[in-house]
Amino acid sequence: MKRGFVLAMMVALGLALAQGRTVNLLWSGAITGPTSDVGGPYAAGIEDYCKYANEQKLIPNVTLNCIVRDDQYQNPNTQRILEEALDRAKPAIYLGYSTGAMLQLKPLINEVRLPTIPASAHIGLIEPPHNQYMFLPVSSYSEQFVALLEYINRTKKNARVALVVNPSPFGRAVVDVSRRAAARLGQTIVDVREVGGGNLDNTALLRALDAAGVEFILHQNVAGPVANILKDAKRLGLDKKIKQLGAIYTGGSDLIRLAGDAAEGYLWASSYYTLDENAPGINLQKQLAQKYNRSADILNSTNYTAGMLAAAIAVEAMKRAAQRFNGRIDNATVYQALIGMNGPNAFKPGFAVSTKAGIEIDFTRTEQTGAEGLRILEVKGGKFVPVTEPFTSTLFRQVRNP
Amino acid sequence: MIDFIQNLISGIAVGCIYALAALGFVLVYKSSRVINFSNGQFIAIGAFAAYALTVWVGLPVLLAALLAMLLTAGLGFLVERVFLRRMVGQPIISVIMVTIGLASVLDGLMYLTPFGSGNFTFPQFLPPGGLELAGINISYPQLMAIGFTMVFLLLFGWFFQRSVLGIAMRAVADDQMASMSLGVSVRRVFGLAWAVAGLTAAAAGIVVGTVSGLNQDGLIAIGLAVFPAVILGGLDSVPGAVVGGIVIGVLQSFSTAYLDGVLGQIGLVGGGSQYAVPFVVLLVMLWFKPHGLFGTEEIERV
Repeated sequence: MKRGFVLAMMVALGLALAQGRTVNLLWSGAITGPTSDVGGPYAAGIEDYCKYANEQKLIPNVTLNCIVRDDQYQNPNTQRILEEALDRAKPAIYLGYSTGAMLQLKPLINEVRLPTIPASAHIGLIEPPHNQYMFLPVSSYSEQFVALLEYINRTKKNARVALVVNPSPFGRAVVDVSRRAAARLGQTIVDVREVGGGNLDNTALLRALDAAGVEFILHQNVAGPVANILKDAKRLGLDKKIKQLGAIYTGGSDLIRLAGDAAEGYLWASSYYTLDENAPGINLQKQLAQKYNRSADILNSTNYTAGMLAAAIAVEAMKRAAQRFNGRIDNATVYQALIGMNGPNAFKPGFAVSTKAGIEIDFTRTEQTGAEGLRILEVKGGKFVPVTEPFTSTLFRQVRNP
Repeated sequence: MIDFIQNLISGIAVGCIYALAALGFVLVYKSSRVINFSNGQFIAIGAFAAYALTVWVGLPVLLAALLAMLLTAGLGFLVERVFLRRMVGQPIISVIMVTIGLASVLDGLMYLTPFGSGNFTFPQFLPPGGLELAGINISYPQLMAIGFTMVFLLLFGWFFQRSVLGIAMRAVADDQMASMSLGVSVRRVFGLAWAVAGLTAAAAGIVVGTVSGLNQDGLIAIGLAVFPAVILGGLDSVPGAVVGGIVIGVLQSFSTAYLDGVLGQIGLVGGGSQYAVPFVVLLVMLWFKPHGLFGTEEIERV
């Protein structure tokens, strides 16, 4: 009897070991509520990549449990979700979302030493204090803005530029660094305006900027407000006179859908490949969207690509942690794997463009930005098409800090 | 001068959208003294209903808009029957809490639909660009907003002054007990007020959706943005809602045109005064004229 019991226990243990361990990955963001047009596809990208990682057994002997939670863009919800997860699920890595919540949670994340990859590319997240465990998947909003100013400088010297930003830390993040970069480039920042959602008419704004001799408007916002400004500029006949450009979340399929033909000519800084390009990550995106019955809207969204890239980095870091630390996957080993993701060990999933050195994603202990290459894309015939080769801002590192 | 007139016209156009969104709010308050915090949700539901009918069902946009307004009117009627009718005679704070709860429930239900996350646009049914006259430009959706507002203003003006039901609504607003003793069906009046509020909210949602696309949070935010307009015009005044909306729209336009630049020059990054100005007006109005420009000043004798 006793021998039978021991045998049964050993069989059960053997079965459990054969099935492998479960490791948790946490994401919380706005699947509903403000900015859910970004958060919805982003979450879908994470979910689909997680399913794919489990199906393909990307991390041998490990089942990945991706906890995807809707915080409705409410910082208290984000905090509660993270604290609950820390208590119960002990995630090895956290994929965050909004600028505000991430800034608020920086001290906690630092305290519990949890590697975090936010959707927000606010430069403040990777600047001291409490920045050690934050990793931006692509270049920051600030870096993209400096790159856009450099691009303007290539086409027009001494340009007169206006910044139109979201009335939030997300929007304001780019203002100071843009002023410093413009001063170096001989450009004039004529005006800085804050425009949020619900901008039903932008006539006064556009006429004021036109009267001030503005030649370029740089947007740091989400697609909705930018689309309204583009439509009004076209209606007022200012679309030919004032060129409009923007960073990460201003562009993509949402902008084209909302602005229609008024989006033609809009310039967008993006690190991601477009859906029309033959890149390994994009091909995987198409394959997974079809496999998991995602709508055309989700498939076409750059935020779906962005979610997949964040999940791909996380999964790769877990895989490398397991390889390097005898199967141990936790916050400490994943952190080590992330900061070792450079040089010959840089990660190349094929979602984002590479730098001239051929590196797509790399991190070090002090360099916490993943994809540093970006391109300028322009709306032509209802699609974003690249109008530059991938490049990295040369000026950003000089003007990053005052 | 052209710039000034252009900014004025643009402000009036935006103000008409606020006025349209405020009408339902005022109607409910006028008849039942209920402050409807779910007005924004009705705006969103009306707009999404029109979108679903035109894009999914394939109806022409104008027919879809008409049906959506009727459907939202039906929803308003239903909400009154199911939730608000039970609250007759209850403390006003309880009724307000019910409308806040209702807003939450409607939000949650919308999140369960495809509209809960994402941006949508109506198929183009108006000509592109806008109407240009002597250097002044106004977009066709904005013209539609002005048209809708004027039509509703005239209809409500006639309704409240001439129709039996309208006069009954005014009587109920004035004194429920006295109206009941004279044979007025207070329940019927309340139901009608909520139905008409749903109808005007849907009209506002369709206009906003045509101007700037459909996004749940954007549409709901319009419902909240009308508060300064109704406080300014008077909570129980239909013409007040229109005047309040237009004043707020014009102030926003002027502050963007003339104040933001000055704020930028004195080092206040970003301007964005158009977001603050309506609430400054609201505070000033509450300070000097708490019943608004056209609101009924109630005198209590003790």
